[in-house]
Amino acid sequence: MKTSRSQNRSLSTSPHPRVSSSLHPSISRRAVLRSSTATIALPFLESFGFRKFASAADVTTPPKRMVWLGIGFGVTADKWFPNREQTGTEYDFPEVLKPLEKHRGDLTFLQNLTHQHSKDGHSGSTFWLTGANRYAIPGQSFHNSISVDQVAAEQFGTATRFTSIQLCGSNPGADGHGPGLSLAWNRQGKPVSGLNTPVEAFHRLFSDDKTPLAARQAQLNQQRSVLDTVLSDARSVKRKISTSDNEKLDEYFQSVREIEVRLSKEEQWLGVEKKQPDPPVTEPSDSLVGYGELGTMADLMVAAMQVDASRVYTYRMPLDTVIASLGANISAHTMSHYSHGERRDVSEMRDLHYAKFLAAFIDKLKASKEADGSSLLDHVSLTMGTNLFSVHTLRNCPTLIAGGGAGFQHGRHLVMDEEKTPLCNLWLSQLKGCGVEAESFGDSTGVIKELHAA
Amino acid sequence: MNLPVRFSILLFLLPLVSAAGESGAILPEKHFSMFEKYCLDCHDSATEKGEVNLEDLSFTLTDDIATAELWNKVLDAMNSGEMPPHDKTQVPDKEKTAFLRDLSEQMVLARSIFSDTGGEIALRRLNRREYANTLEELLGVRPDTSFLPDDQANAEFDTLGGSLYFSSDQLEQYLATARRTLELALLAKAPKESAITRVEPEEFYYPHFAKVAAARLDRAKRYYEWEAAGGTDEIAKEYGYLDGWQAGRQLSSFQRDYPALDKWLSAPENRKGTALMITIKDSFTQTKLPQIRAWQPGRYIIRVKAGAYLEDPARFRYLEFVRREGQNVTRLGWRKVSAPVGKPETIEFEIDHQPGVDAAYWVQKRTHMERGDKNLESEFLKEGRHTPWGVWIDWAEIEGPLPARKKSPVASLLAEKSGGQSESDHARDLLAKFATHAFRGETPNEEYLGKLMEHFETGREAGKKWKEALIDPLSIVLSSPSFLYLVEATEIGDGETGGLGDGETGGRLSGRELATRLSYFLWSAPPDEELLAFGQSGELSEPEVLRKQTERLLAEERAKRFVRHFTHQWLDMHRLRMFSFDARTFPDFDEGARDCAGEEIYETFATILAEGLPLRNLLKSDFVVINDLLADYYGIEGVKGSHFRKVTLPGDSPRGGLIGTAAIAAMGSDGQRSSPVERGVWVLRHLLNNPPPPAPPNVPQLSRFEDDVLSARELQKAHQEEAQCAQCHQKIDPIGYGLENFSAAGLWRDSETILGRKQKVLATFPVQPSGQFTDGTSFADYFELREVVADRIDDFAMGLTEALITYGLGRPFGFSDQELAFSIVQQAAGSEYAIAEIIYALVQSEAFGTY
Repeated sequence: MKTSRSQNRSLSTSPHPRVSSSLHPSISRRAVLRSSTATIALPFLESFGFRKFASAADVTTPPKRMVWLGIGFGVTADKWFPNREQTGTEYDFPEVLKPLEKHRGDLTFLQNLTHQHSKDGHSGSTFWLTGANRYAIPGQSFHNSISVDQVAAEQFGTATRFTSIQLCGSNPGADGHGPGLSLAWNRQGKPVSGLNTPVEAFHRLFSDDKTPLAARQAQLNQQRSVLDTVLSDARSVKRKISTSDNEKLDEYFQSVREIEVRLSKEEQWLGVEKKQPDPPVTEPSDSLVGYGELGTMADLMVAAMQVDASRVYTYRMPLDTVIASLGANISAHTMSHYSHGERRDVSEMRDLHYAKFLAAFIDKLKASKEADGSSLLDHVSLTMGTNLFSVHTLRNCPTLIAGGGAGFQHGRHLVMDEEKTPLCNLWLSQLKGCGVEAESFGDSTGVIKELHAA
Repeated sequence: MNLPVRFSILLFLLPLVSAAGESGAILPEKHFSMFEKYCLDCHDSATEKGEVNLEDLSFTLTDDIATAELWNKVLDAMNSGEMPPHDKTQVPDKEKTAFLRDLSEQMVLARSIFSDTGGEIALRRLNRREYANTLEELLGVRPDTSFLPDDQANAEFDTLGGSLYFSSDQLEQYLATARRTLELALLAKAPKESAITRVEPEEFYYPHFAKVAAARLDRAKRYYEWEAAGGTDEIAKEYGYLDGWQAGRQLSSFQRDYPALDKWLSAPENRKGTALMITIKDSFTQTKLPQIRAWQPGRYIIRVKAGAYLEDPARFRYLEFVRREGQNVTRLGWRKVSAPVGKPETIEFEIDHQPGVDAAYWVQKRTHMERGDKNLESEFLKEGRHTPWGVWIDWAEIEGPLPARKKSPVASLLAEKSGGQSESDHARDLLAKFATHAFRGETPNEEYLGKLMEHFETGREAGKKWKEALIDPLSIVLSSPSFLYLVEATEIGDGETGGLGDGETGGRLSGRELATRLSYFLWSAPPDEELLAFGQSGELSEPEVLRKQTERLLAEERAKRFVRHFTHQWLDMHRLRMFSFDARTFPDFDEGARDCAGEEIYETFATILAEGLPLRNLLKSDFVVINDLLADYYGIEGVKGSHFRKVTLPGDSPRGGLIGTAAIAAMGSDGQRSSPVERGVWVLRHLLNNPPPPAPPNVPQLSRFEDDVLSARELQKAHQEEAQCAQCHQKIDPIGYGLENFSAAGLWRDSETILGRKQKVLATFPVQPSGQFTDGTSFADYFELREVVADRIDDFAMGLTEALITYGLGRPFGFSDQELAFSIVQQAAGSEYAIAEIIYALVQSEAFGTY
């Protein structure tokens, strides 16, 4: 027999636990809503310094570049990090990351970094570079904020043809990366699309549009006129609907403005040919899927850095196809729910091959020289990591950083004193280290001083 | 009114509930002493360790957000065992359990209160599937929407306007998708004349396998010659081998593969047809029909003349029909072959080939995911056998394209040119009509129409043909806000700044808007002419008309979308495809069984809806809704044909009711083992409407037991050891125990077998299915558990109603919706909660007719 208390409860609890798994409800919901959409285009537009782009490649000091490589479905829990007790330069290199050991002087492991708002294991990489609280806006079960790469891109992107480059595996659902179109989220917290195959990335970065200049100018005008037409309808909808609905419709207006900005930039670069490094990169095979895809994407990033096509890169790495190409019989998701035997074997094989890929990437960055004789690696801030530690654990985000871009001292294993040091502190340190003007990022509480100190 | 007894209790309680909501989520005062004793030493206002001060923390969680957030921190810290620190005095288990239970329950309540939108429905964009359906209705072509974000990832239902975001990339994708789809719809070549192409599979496979067999035989011959000549590494090269090791390998591959090939080649029927063989190295037999190109859309019929080896197990006596587009394989369906090989039958299978798709259609054996079939063949080989052939195919043919069934609105508009009308008048007319149609009856503004015409004229001036020139303006229409958003409350606006003030709700929807809301609810598509006409005339607001139209919508084919997508999201059915099931462990749970198991849930819901049956049938019924494939899987005799239908069960069957289905059991597993926790949570959440609080983050796996071989039930005992785990798991786990008689793949078992590497049996434990609910109700086995669950039909009805409100209104179910849910449930009680009655009550409610 049911008691009246449980009757009461069954009526009064929410039946929808997936929505309600966080707080950040708000009394003045609408105030929050408004403020979230109020950050309109103006500052964004102004940040586009219309610098003379053609001279960008001639600068003598090599530019800073930033790269983030995202892993889906976490790592093998007890194998990936060095022993917590062995900090500093003297530590045993993790067995599953052996291929990276030859670069140990150029990289740093960080432990105890966490996103305080990440509470469920199923958001994948969605908040890795943002640190946002998914439930920050009541009544809305999804919210995100700008990602660290896009903050960097606002400053670094003015000088290059591509403000930023987002690379992705083609099947994010199977790779454990969660919602989003790439690792990048824009100023409004909306997903930024990516290039999903090496072929697509190759064409975007290195193929020239053969259409005559006048025709391309006409195309741009045509695209503007399309925006002008949809705006006419948007304005009439705006007049009809309520204030709060208009807050939602603002997303549409904002999208139109962003495309306008993009078109302006395209127009600036209209007559400038895309550069090829020497030796030039060739079009990748479109049957390239799996482990080989990782190396090709790295080659494309190195080539793009060599010609200064962009200074900000993110890569939402494929996983399911990678382990399949290495002979796994199970899906990446199945693998991520470890149990003894095959699942764990595959997981360790995955860690090993990501390490192998990263080691080769670092080799290439070292081998590629800038005009002043330094290497690309000397000026890049490179991160490989994930929001998810293992299975459903979101603490101690696996983080491996390399490169001289942010001026960090490498070769160490750092375990933060504070067990839940915001991962955003690292993002902020990288931004500042690379010279991006930023006072805070996400839920950062400051920079990580140990990165510079001996 | 004749209400069931339990209802009168509910009625009586209603005022109490509302009162609770007004005063907020409050933690009982009694917990203060625990707080004082174990927390305040460090976290008082003087010390504030970790900048956490709990001394002044209000016990009313809903005082403000900061309070609720701090309480959430307390909950997380205690749940994960972080607080109190290990070197400090620990809270006794009993106190801790009681505290955490109360806190997590109040937290759920607080979330519900805070997430309440006060009935406000955010401006809703068409979600990805609605967008695809809508484009298909307008243009007659289903667009490829794989580039658009999958809206299901963001919220519990993909209809919640607040969570459907919009980005600039998306706007570009809408434009590109509309353009692509319009090109397919408007610039299609005249349909190709229908033709029949027949394939005789043996023409490829007989010589193929003959060649393979000869090569294997040659290897063996060379091996024996090499062996006779001394068998040393040095002379191996003379016999075509690198060394002795390789020679030995080649001999064993001969010994492994040759007998099967020889048997196949010796069977006389394989001279004039093909038995479906699986080999590890030399491909499966698949009948590959010729590629159908992007410009040859339409309906096609595949016919297969086939016979079955009736002595083979049932699973092997099916044909699987698949579509292959590059690397993508889509399973379209299965047909059982009943006629013997000596007297084959002709099996027909209809397909709909979409324009713009280059695909080939193959007929094959039932398959497993990934390498499953090869792994299974290896298992057969260990026993000196092979995967049974099951089916023999004489020939297969494809006929088509057959004429399309109906004309799309855009096609009709193109044809509709009145005599003497100039081209530009016709274009203007067409654009205006199309836009009005696309905007679901709302007339576009004049300036906008003028701009659309400019796009048309620019195209014409640039030398585009008339239809080509229409593509630009039409794709703009399909990317405009009036199309992409379900714009409501349009008749209130004063035409200047929006007629509604901040958060004002409660005005009636116009008839047109009501028609649109109704059709997107039940069809995930725009209203048809009849519904829109009733809307525009205002008649739809009359209860009788609204009910008639709702009945009509539900009876239509398009309502299947509601059944499928609502049920899928409501019951978290994405879990069904989250894990791969190893073919060696679950040989019968192949892709066909898994897909049909999912289908069973939709078909059961649809049957109960269509026949107006009491809702209790979803909890326990004396029938199942299955097809032949699933009947074979369940071991139910006498079900013929691939369509789903009601089949009466014997009295002692564990099937009948959601928890007796293979799908729900499989969803409560990780592809290897059953998970009493997942199953228990699922039952609490979806059947008993008593969801446990969300799993706390960062709780370590039960790694202490990683190396022990324990039954699923024993494994859960770790949950009882820690007070913070016990407080939820004592409610969750026992329900899962009651379902332990179902394997990870949903088959009945009396014992649980634990497998290790290479399918080695590590242990077998008898299933112990007894358990107890936290209120004391106990059950001895699965059958008693099912009775207990079925008796809680009122809770289930409430849960379903809340889910329908959320899905149908497109906003989160809030605390203030309790009365709405209650009144709907009450109206449907007389029909024993027939699903249609719940839907009628919902669409007639004040909330559904207002914005």
